Amino acid sequence: MTATPNDSAVADSQVGDRSTRWRFEPRIGTSRWWQVASIFLALLAAFAVSSLLIASAGANVLEALQAMGRGAFGSWSAAAETLVQSTPLIFTGLAVTVAFRGRIWNIGAEGQFWAGAMAAHWVATNVTGLPAPIIIAVTIIAAFAAGMIWGGIAGLLKARYGASEIIVTVMLNFIILFTLSFLLSDAWQDPTSHFYQTAATPEASNFPRLLAKGRLHLGFALALVVAALVYVLLWMTTLGYEIRALGINPVAARYKGINVATTTILILAISGGIAALAGAGELAGLHHRLRLDISTGYGFTGIIIAMLGRLHPAGVLLAAIFFGALVNGALGMQISTGVPVALVQAIQGITLLFLLTADVLARYRLTRVRPDG
Amino acid sequence: MDSLLQATFIVGLLAGMVRIAAPILFGALGELVVERAGVLNLSIEGTMLMGAFVGFLITYQSGELWYGVLGAMVAGGILGLLMAFLACTLKVDQVVSGLAINLLSSGLTFYLFRLAFKNVGSQNLPSISTFDVVKIPLLGDIPFVGEILFSQHILTYVALILVPSISFILYRTKFGLELRSIGENPRAIDMRGLSVTRRQYLAVVFGGVMSGLGGSFLTLASAGLFVPEISGGRGWIALAIVIFGNWRPSLILLGALFFGLIDSFQLSLQAVGVKMPYQLLLAMPYILTIVALVLNRGRSQGPLALGRPYYREERT
Amino acid sequence: MRSKGSDSAQSRETETPIQTKELSPVIEVNRTELSPDLRSAPSLGDDQVLLRTDHLTKRFPQVLANDNVSFSVRKGEIHCLLGENGAGKTTLAEMLYGVYKPDAGSIYLKGRRIALTSPRDAIAHGIGMVHQHFVLVPPFTVLENIFIGTRSRGLLANMTQAAEKVRALCQDYGIEIDLNAQVWQLCVGEQQWVEILKALYSGVELLILDEPTAALTPQETDKLFAILRKMRADGLSIIFITHKLREVMEVSDRVTVLRKGRVVGTVNTADVTRTDLARMMVGREVVFQIAKESVAPGPPVLEVDDLRAYDDRGVEALRGISLTVHRHEILGLAGVSGNGQRELFDVLTGVRKPVSGRVLLEGEDITGKSPAYIASRGVASVPEDRIHQGLVMDFRVGENLILGLQRRSPFSKGSFLRRNEVRDFAEQLISRFDIATPSPDQTTAVLSGGNLQKVIMARELSQAPKCLIVSQPTRGLDVGATEYVRRQLLQQRDRGTAILLISEDLDEIFNLSTHIAVIFKGQIAGVLDAERATLEDVGMLMAGCEGTL
Repeated sequence: MTATPNDSAVADSQVGDRSTRWRFEPRIGTSRWWQVASIFLALLAAFAVSSLLIASAGANVLEALQAMGRGAFGSWSAAAETLVQSTPLIFTGLAVTVAFRGRIWNIGAEGQFWAGAMAAHWVATNVTGLPAPIIIAVTIIAAFAAGMIWGGIAGLLKARYGASEIIVTVMLNFIILFTLSFLLSDAWQDPTSHFYQTAATPEASNFPRLLAKGRLHLGFALALVVAALVYVLLWMTTLGYEIRALGINPVAARYKGINVATTTILILAISGGIAALAGAGELAGLHHRLRLDISTGYGFTGIIIAMLGRLHPAGVLLAAIFFGALVNGALGMQISTGVPVALVQAIQGITLLFLLTADVLARYRLTRVRPDG
Repeated sequence: MDSLLQATFIVGLLAGMVRIAAPILFGALGELVVERAGVLNLSIEGTMLMGAFVGFLITYQSGELWYGVLGAMVAGGILGLLMAFLACTLKVDQVVSGLAINLLSSGLTFYLFRLAFKNVGSQNLPSISTFDVVKIPLLGDIPFVGEILFSQHILTYVALILVPSISFILYRTKFGLELRSIGENPRAIDMRGLSVTRRQYLAVVFGGVMSGLGGSFLTLASAGLFVPEISGGRGWIALAIVIFGNWRPSLILLGALFFGLIDSFQLSLQAVGVKMPYQLLLAMPYILTIVALVLNRGRSQGPLALGRPYYREERT
Repeated sequence: MRSKGSDSAQSRETETPIQTKELSPVIEVNRTELSPDLRSAPSLGDDQVLLRTDHLTKRFPQVLANDNVSFSVRKGEIHCLLGENGAGKTTLAEMLYGVYKPDAGSIYLKGRRIALTSPRDAIAHGIGMVHQHFVLVPPFTVLENIFIGTRSRGLLANMTQAAEKVRALCQDYGIEIDLNAQVWQLCVGEQQWVEILKALYSGVELLILDEPTAALTPQETDKLFAILRKMRADGLSIIFITHKLREVMEVSDRVTVLRKGRVVGTVNTADVTRTDLARMMVGREVVFQIAKESVAPGPPVLEVDDLRAYDDRGVEALRGISLTVHRHEILGLAGVSGNGQRELFDVLTGVRKPVSGRVLLEGEDITGKSPAYIASRGVASVPEDRIHQGLVMDFRVGENLILGLQRRSPFSKGSFLRRNEVRDFAEQLISRFDIATPSPDQTTAVLSGGNLQKVIMARELSQAPKCLIVSQPTRGLDVGATEYVRRQLLQQRDRGTAILLISEDLDEIFNLSTHIAVIFKGQIAGVLDAERATLEDVGMLMAGCEGTL
């Protein structure tokens, strides 16, 4: 976003005999340095607030943070588990990144997650008798396709009817959740169980583990691959160029021949597909059973990940791993100090708000102005 | 016998319609004022949730329903202040600001709920006794209409009265004129030497107070208890209603009533024992919102300057 | 931003005699009607001075807009602020209106120093301003627009008293306007009356007008000047900001010339000529007309036949418009803004679909085709709003140079961009068009207006288009950039490109065009030969009257 000038604040200061004035001036263009610095500023402020929240839980702040650190990275297995927690966040973060780059507000990553999970479950229970690698490949493709459709609906409605994608994707979240809820209590319910969940999926459809011990599964590797693909998409393809142009200036994009309708649909379809992979990963790689609690709001956290990651795949990877560490560490923290795991969710929104505020600093700079110009 | 049952069913349906419409109406009316001032506020959902939680918590601790309502309004106002700060002072992208506040509210209410009510499962949720229905003397005795319209919670009456009140303020007062100018061309106000920012702050904080109030309705007048995400998308529906209510209070009222009707219908069907997957009924409001948006195409797009932060100097 | 080699400009231009266009007889008479005291008095006592500025300075990021500006305005005077685009006129005016606080210097009103913290203060002091871009609220009525923000009693918006006052003002100044019309329905001239009424309503002693004639027909301009003279006769002072020398000579008593934020001088209008003023304005000899060799137009390239289209509000903006542009021809489309130029540009570039009619490009029917298709057939365009319609400001310069071309080879192969080819192409264009940027990786946002226009022109011309459609190509550009753009257009014409020049600047139209077409209410009111047309003829057509052709 280009900076536009405001009325500047001017401060006077005497330096020696000459009076120089310092001025907080809007800057034209943005500063790379500040873009990174503001992230750290935001995290610092978020940490301060977390300490407050931890204290309000009646726990010792230092103890709690240490427990969190140990839980996140204290051992190799802890670190691996952190990556497990970060896997769905990488996917949803990337999904939101692709959408936001095109200035398409995809708030439906949560619903697209479920689309992927449901597709993965369907494949697992209905595609049998084939070698495992084939089933897994089909799972991934089916999940991506399901996400493409669920996201594509919103894209179509926006392209053809101008329906706000913000509202449509949020509505679709609810609709798919109700659908799943229905299925889990009806046709898909595990006949041997009272709970609203499916039976365990066959072994052959499960994502293989990447390490001998621990839960790190193929989903993580897939996430890394998708991150690279997103980079290629955005900066090395013509579609990516058009997505970025559309995101910054949709008017000019239209005048210069970019097909806004088609691009909009593609953006939401691709974004939906990537978010769906998160669902597939959680199902086929981790839980092996479809339940309503296999997502802790990954779709929404993805928004924060994308913003923290500055809408860049590399940033998304880092931010996702960071949040994965928070989640993983919070479990350890709860066990040691009794601070509710829900702290992590509280932090998320706060971090984003601090980031938005810190970003404003990136738009200004301090310059020295001599009185004679 | 059948006709009596029919009547009771319809009366129940319509009374439910008004009751369910009330919280959405608060959110939508608040958002109307905000958007007329040119700000796109997506944090209705989160603010409602915060209002629901704070209202519940305060009532639970104090035993007084009205303290809860007050607390909810203050909490909503604070979130509104935050939104105004982000959107009008810092001029951060309004969509992201709203989303961030939603996420903040989601997480914070969840965390504080867990903190305040440790060791609570879905079986033993803390609860409060809700507002009583207040029957208006004389008017409430009118057969049929009396039960539907004049035997509601106080907050519902407040919501209904707000419709003409806000209409009056927006269209008949100087402040309303200035506010609507900002939504169309803020420069017109700025070049008169009137503060655009101050008026936008007022509008956005008002919107927050309204959403907080609407949220408190959910816990203090409806459910009597709090569960995470109790707002259930109502904030988003309120947002949609402003759009296909064409930014007019009377149409927004109709929109809110329509959604109240759908939800009430779904509840009534359940009560009567109709054999239908209840999830489909639950999904109806959300499906219909999408349908309504699609049908709305080509109509007015709202205040001209909606969603665009105002800078005094534009680059030419 | 001064273009390179400004000092060698004299050698580049051929010395052609200054051609002034015929002024209408009515105006000639008024020219001699200067107040006698102004003609004789070289200096006046302080009590005749209404407003005085003393070393007023204002700095913005990267630019010193006003540098120690000192000048004064007398009571009952029309004072022009003259300068080219970017000279700092608007900034100065906005400081006088309280929009900006000066970084240094002071303002004196009737001898007393005043501090203006907001337009409210200015209005309270009797200073009013009509901005270059109107600050009206389109869906509101004329009365509501005048009423907003004025001091009145009570909380209710009761406009009956206001209505009376406005009607009285209208009667006094001979302004005819429907108070209950919604502003978006008014034409630009009428909208300006609303702006003026706003200022008059609040009771002004000093009225500042910023480029008020930009969107007026010559006849409307005359009416405006008549009203200004009445105001002056009533004792008001007027600051009239413009870059048009003709207007300065026509209506002002004194003129202060600004250049690059500094005052070059203040003179009595009666004592100077257009050449003097031009020299003060630009700092060097300025010739009013680029030497233009006449080239015979060739076969038709762009044919528009009975085109009809709606604008964004659903009103019919093009009502059966027809025109033809030939090879080696610049067809200048003159007209007051709001008569369908924007919609015509949109239809010809494919952004807007017409309801009926045809557009042919060298015989091929391209009506209603997509922007990408039309561009691929050889139609290039330079839009009116270069920042919002022509560029993606956050992109690098290199990326903007292929905007619209990204799917063509050699820039892409399959779905992938070929970055090296893009880079080479960008470097070539930067060098060929002399775009002031260190590299193609520079963010476009930091470029000056003139360079932004160069980026757009470089991009469009690089494809050797058959037809070029340009809209307001020199708006907001300084003299150097303006000359560059106009020279480019003439070059393209010589090469055979058919050019449709949409411009509100009549000097530009006369300067460059082979033929002049006038657009009025969505139709062509007439087509004239540029060599033989007069300002009067064009003005009449612009106002919708049948001229003597």
